[in-house]
Parts: sequence; C-alpha cells; structure tokens
Amino acid sequence: MIAPASFEKLADRLRTIVGPRGVLTHPAELLTYAADGLPTYRRRPPLAVFPASRAELVRVVQALHAEGRGFVPRGAGTGLSGGALADPDTVLIGLNRLDRILAIDAEDRLALVEPGVVNARLTKAVLPFGLHYAPDPSSQTACTIGGNVAENAGGPHCLKYGVTLNHVAAATIVLPNGELVSLGSTDGDTDDYDLLGAFVGSEGCFGIAADVTVRLTRNPEAVHTLLADFMAVEDAARAVSDIIASGIVPAALEMMDNGTIRAVEASIYAAGYPIDAAAVLLAEVDGLSAGLDEDVETISAICTARGARDVLVAGDAAARARLWQGRKKAFGAMGRVAPELVVQDAVVPRTRLPDILASVAEIAGRHQVQVCNVFHAGDGNLHPNIPYDGRDTEVVKRVHLAMREIMEACLEAGGSVTGEHGIGVDKLDYMPLAFSPESLAAMCALRGVFDPLQRANPSKVVPVRSCREWRAAPSARESIGGGGWR
Amino acid sequence: MAVAAVATQATAVRDQIAEARGRGETVRLAGRREWLDAGHPVSAARTIDLSGHTGIVEYVPGDFTLTARAGTPLGEIARATAAENQWLALDPFGSDRGSLGATVATASAGPLAHAFGTPRDQVLGIEVVTGTGDVIRAGGRVVKNVAGFDLTRLFTGSWGTLGAITEISVRLRARPAADAHLAVALPDERPAAIAMLCREAAIMRADPYALELVDARFAVRLGLPAATTLLVRLGGNATAVAAQRAAVASLGRLTELPEGVWDVMRTAEPPGSSVVRITSRPSALPSQWTAMVDAMAALPDVLVHGSVGRGTVRAIVPDAPPAALAGAVQRLARHARGFSAERLPPLVWAIADATWAERPMSGEKADSVRVRNELLRRVKDAYDPLHLLNPGIMGEAIA
Repeated sequence: MIAPASFEKLADRLRTIVGPRGVLTHPAELLTYAADGLPTYRRRPPLAVFPASRAELVRVVQALHAEGRGFVPRGAGTGLSGGALADPDTVLIGLNRLDRILAIDAEDRLALVEPGVVNARLTKAVLPFGLHYAPDPSSQTACTIGGNVAENAGGPHCLKYGVTLNHVAAATIVLPNGELVSLGSTDGDTDDYDLLGAFVGSEGCFGIAADVTVRLTRNPEAVHTLLADFMAVEDAARAVSDIIASGIVPAALEMMDNGTIRAVEASIYAAGYPIDAAAVLLAEVDGLSAGLDEDVETISAICTARGARDVLVAGDAAARARLWQGRKKAFGAMGRVAPELVVQDAVVPRTRLPDILASVAEIAGRHQVQVCNVFHAGDGNLHPNIPYDGRDTEVVKRVHLAMREIMEACLEAGGSVTGEHGIGVDKLDYMPLAFSPESLAAMCALRGVFDPLQRANPSKVVPVRSCREWRAAPSARESIGGGGWR
Repeated sequence: MAVAAVATQATAVRDQIAEARGRGETVRLAGRREWLDAGHPVSAARTIDLSGHTGIVEYVPGDFTLTARAGTPLGEIARATAAENQWLALDPFGSDRGSLGATVATASAGPLAHAFGTPRDQVLGIEVVTGTGDVIRAGGRVVKNVAGFDLTRLFTGSWGTLGAITEISVRLRARPAADAHLAVALPDERPAAIAMLCREAAIMRADPYALELVDARFAVRLGLPAATTLLVRLGGNATAVAAQRAAVASLGRLTELPEGVWDVMRTAEPPGSSVVRITSRPSALPSQWTAMVDAMAALPDVLVHGSVGRGTVRAIVPDAPPAALAGAVQRLARHARGFSAERLPPLVWAIADATWAERPMSGEKADSVRVRNELLRRVKDAYDPLHLLNPGIMGEAIA
C-alpha cells in the first residue's frame, strides 16, 4: 500500500488540469466513493479527480499514464458489483461533471451525451419529441449513461427493448494511454471487428467513454400494467414460462416474492401488493394501442389458469406508477429489514425458474439467511437479495456461503453469474466456475488490446492469475506480430 | 487448396489449426460454400471444411434459445423451430442453404433486421477455435448475460479471421399469430416522392418487422409492376396487424403479397454477384437511394434495395464489366456517406478503397482512424498471431 503522501504531487498536477475543486484528497470527502451499493466491499480511494470537460478528461488520463498510475472510472456508483471501487494505489476518476446532453437528433432518434448524464434525465430531455431512452435500471434516477455503457446495464423493460448494448450506436473512447478513438457509427453497421460491442460492458477496463451516441425509442402509444398475485411461488414462475411461450413479448415481466412484498408494503413505497401472497407478477405490455387489449386478456387468462388469486389491471397512469414504485424501490424498502443488503444478480434459462427458486429457498433455509427475490422473471434474470446485519461476522460468513451456492446452482442450471450488474470484484471468484482457463485467457487478451499495461480498473472482471497464464501461453510467445500486449 | 478435411468436432478443428500452425500454412475456413469467394477471394494453403459440423445441439422451446453446430444450414433451424411455432428472425441475402456459422461469421442480416437486428443482436454465445489453437467459449445460452468481456460480439462478424466458430447459441422468437406482407408502389420516381414516403413510413402507426424499398427492376423480379416500391412486413395478433395494415394503407395503394416474397427477394442475389452497400442515418436514406440508383443506372441487371429504418442501401450486381462497375463504385465512394464494398472483385475493391481514402478528413478524425486501425490489428494479433486464418478477407487493414 502506498502512503497517501505519494499522491500529493499527483494531486497538485491534476489540480492544474481540473482546478482545485476538481480533486479530492481528504479521507472524509473520499468516503462517499468507498462503496458502490454493495455493502460487502468498501475501499476508500486515495484520490479522486473530477474532470469537467472532454479536454480535461483526456489530460487527466494522459497525466496518469505518464505517472504509470492505474485508475478506476466511476459514474454514480450504483453498480452493485464493487467494480467502481479504487484500490489504495489507484486513482478514482469521477465522471459526474461531464453531464451535458450534447445533441438530440429526433428524426433519426439519436442522442449524443457525455458519460455523466443521468439515465432518467436523458429520457426526460427527449420526452418533448415523443421519445425515451429504453434501458431503465432500477437506479435510473441516479445512474449515468457512462456507467450503463460500462456495465451493459439492463432493467425491467429490457425484456422487450434489449439491453444497453442494443441502444449504443457510437462512442468516443479515451484509451488508458490517453489516446482518443471513435468506435461504432451513426451511419449504419461497420464491417470491421465490433470494437464498440466489445467496449460496451467492459466494466471500465478498456478505457473511458468521453461521449456516447445512444439510440432513442419511440414512446408507446399505449401501456397496460397488470398485477397478478399467487399463493405459491412455483405457480407464478410457471405463469412466467407460459406468458413467454404464448408469443407475447411483454415490455416487462417482473416477479416479487413474499419477503419483498412485505418489505415494500411496510415502507413508504407501499404499492398495494397483497401481503399474504407468496409472489406477485408485475406484467406490462406496451406499443400501438390496437391489439394490446387482447394481450392483456391473454396474460390475465394465463395467470388465472396458473392459480392467480387475483389479476388487477391498473386503470390509469397514477395506478401504473404506484404498482411500479413498489418494484423500482424494492431495494430501498429492504433497508427496513436489516442494516445491510446484498443485491445479487444471476441468470437461468427461463424454463428453470421454478427449480431455481426452490433451490434458492432451500439454500437460504440451510444457511439461516433471509432471501428476498425481486427480479426480471421474463428473461430469467434473478435478483436474490439478502438483508443482514454486517456487524455479526458469523452472519456475514453465512451470507457469503449462501450467495456462492446460489451462483453455483444458477450455473448448474445452465445460467450465468450476472445478467446486468457485472463481475466487478464481487464475482471474480465465480469466473473460473463459468469459463475455462482458455476462455478467461482469451478475455484477458481482449483487455490487452485496449489496455496493454492494465491500468484501467485493474484486477477487476477477470482474475489476474488467468491473465498471467495467458501471457505464458506458448501461442503468445510464438506470436510473430509481437502479440497483443505492447 | 492442398487439404480439405471435414471437421466434425471442435477438437478436430483445433487439431487442424494446430497442424497448420506447425507448418506455417494459411487456412481458408469454409462452411457450406454458399457464399464462398463471393468477392472475397482468399488464397490459402489449406481449407478447413466446417460443413460436416452440423446438427442442433440443444433446443428448449420454452427458453426461446437454440444451440447448433456452425455448419447447420439455416433451413434446418427454420424447420426445427417452425415445428414449435418459433423462428430465428434472421433472413440474410442468399438462401437458407447457407450455414448458421457463415451467417454469424459474416454478421449477415436481411430485411428482418429492421425489427430484430443483426446476428450481433441475436447471438447469445459461441464456441470458437482461435487461431492460437485454443477452444474457447464466450457468452452462454441465456438471453441476458454480462459475465466477462464480450468475445461473442467480437467474433460475430469477424469473417473467420480470428478463429473458427464451431457452435452457436441464438435467441429465438415466437411466430406471430397473424402477419401481412404488403407492397406500396410509389406514384413517381422523383427523389422528393421517395423522401416523403420514407418519412411517412418512419412515423406511421405501425411497428413493422421489415420496411424495405426496392427499385423498379427488383419489383418486377418480385412479380410486381415496374415501379419503386416499399415492401412492408407486419406481425402480431390479428387486431394489431389489421390496425397496422390500415396505417400502411395511408402511404398509398396496397398490394397483398404472399409470405414467400421475402424468400424470392433473398434468393434474387446470386452467389457470385458483386454487392455494394452504402449506409447512413435513416434520414439521409432518400438521397443515398438516389445516389445509388443513379450510379448503377448504366449497369445491366442491377437490383437495388434499401432498409428504410436502418439507412442501408445495397446494389446487387450479378454481372457487369469491371470497368463500368469500377466507375459506378468510384462515384459512390466519392459521394455516399458510409460506404462498404460488401462483395466486389478485388480490383474494383481496391479502386473503391483508394477513392474512399482520398476523402478529406479532419486531423482529429485521422488520429482516431489511426488508433482504431491499431486496435483492429492488435485484435488480429491476439487471436491469430501468425495471421493464418482467412488472409485478406477483411481487406488490407486486417491482412
């Protein structure tokens, strides 16, 4: 660990670029940046720098490159995987001051934004054009477009509209050595390797987006939201499978179990969910108004056939907003249950939902932890959340054990250890369970293309040892092109 | 082509690549050869034939995902999924005889890309034998997944220059309960009329699966009157399709078409033809369209079509004197926005490339292009360090 004193000279240099207010070095000020919503990891950065323009951002990265210093880019710090935390010897680059919407092209449905623009603010800005930005993470009132791009963020409405990757047309990247490069195009598909596709979801390891051109989506003519409540979790899960199989693509299809329902209803976000239900399904269909009523009827009928006690269709926008409030604020509501909350993220094939929910309940029972499930059921993206008291080390240990078993069960079912939160530091240990050494090494090689010196968000996403193995691989030594690591 | 062994397992492909590496021999990766050498000739010491590497490995209809070996023909996937009232919403030009692997390796898509995107949006995971001889897996079989760096996106559309894709998982969709296939003929050919139609189509109360403009010659090929025509594909429940049909009718006089019209359209592109593509923002499509039609006017049998929502205009040139083709392509490369010589004879390609390169560029843009080319080169070096796979297929930058 490097003593904070060694950062004083660097801080001075950075102050000449971003001004005195753009650099934080006081431990108390830096505490804000020590977490990203996941209570299991806290790391206070030694220094945080906040460029306010693209030119400043480039100069900051160039300065860090010249000093041989690693850095961690950070948006709003809502990533939930520990990805935005800086180790004691790396600098945190906060992108919140780069928050301008640079251009809106309503005709071609594109917006050019700086990385610090808050997700919901973009949607609000394009509302007058009858447009919105489709990816809608639960944190959308706080999280930034740059962070969304880094994490390839999802959200409830990604079931129909796709994840961040499907909504990014182009980006200007500051590479870890300070060079600028434009990837992607607003002029249609490119014929080269999909470097933009590789960049999206690279968790800050490939550089920093200085600007992003996102696609906007036409607002639906009509929206209908339904709430179905079930006396058995399994019934709700089977209803999800049936709805998907019917061919209807709901805009969103969310599930909450009893633990979540109770937490929500006890909080200021109470949405009127029946507290005795084992699970509720929140389904939304949207689009052109013609034909939408049929979809509502079909979904209602499926839920009823699967044993739903009641299916409620929201009568107006206010009623819809209330139903959604409970879902979007469920994580906040769980704050009432215990001091700490692990919001987890994993994926299973949709037909495996009933099995996996049974497994999760069994694992929770065995480790004596409470799991509240609130998740994107329509695409099999689970969020098993554990509220717990972090002061009790015995409890913390059990939480970790339960989480690991849940991840293993999801992989066993043919799923993935993350659907939208990323690997960060939290899931590094699971990567070797999900991918072979060769596959991990191939990922390291891609990192090496963008960041040969591994200065951008070092030691995240892929375990460092995998990269060492790849470096030593015979194929790398033989490389006549000098390899990808210069 | 000294050796053309049929590979049926990833390990067999790995062994063949290892052997080629040992001898320093270049390798041509071949699927079902439906599109092989279509303007992208590759001369290599040996060919690895993936056409025997067929079959659906896993298909769980309830998951709406399917995993198949790379050599599996698109037609086989279409038949298997149709039995479950599902489909892989990819309709690349050519035919259903082509393989899933080639479609993914070339990121080829057709009119359905309007609603469903390209292979880059539909591939969930892949197994690849890289040029380093490693068998790797990227992505997975679930519809949402952000575990690790996205090698799936990188390898999709890499034209076999980084590795041989041996297995692919894709996302499927439910077949719509109802559909409609419509043609709207343009009253006249003036650019203003085309611009007006495109604008109205973009804002009409419909969410089409496909929105494709065809020129008069293409319309005749599809059995329609000789006029620039907008083809519209609709899908959904019966009420939704009926309402959208009414919206399309506001654009002009409708002609009902059979569903098969899309297959006729795809197969109108003969395997050996040259293809020129220009791309732009959708709002610039009308002027791009006019530029393409004008540039191609003198060539025989050219078919022009454009994806209204994606800003793409393609000209299919089955057979043209190279000098005339070069002239047309040069004009386009000089004036069109995005330009791509999708499939061209090498000489014509070189002329187009040189013309494109002559276009003025700001210093900042030139720097960016230099850095980007360096990244592309490093990608190649990382996965095929000996530069053995499909040499030259992606042009000079990635030799």
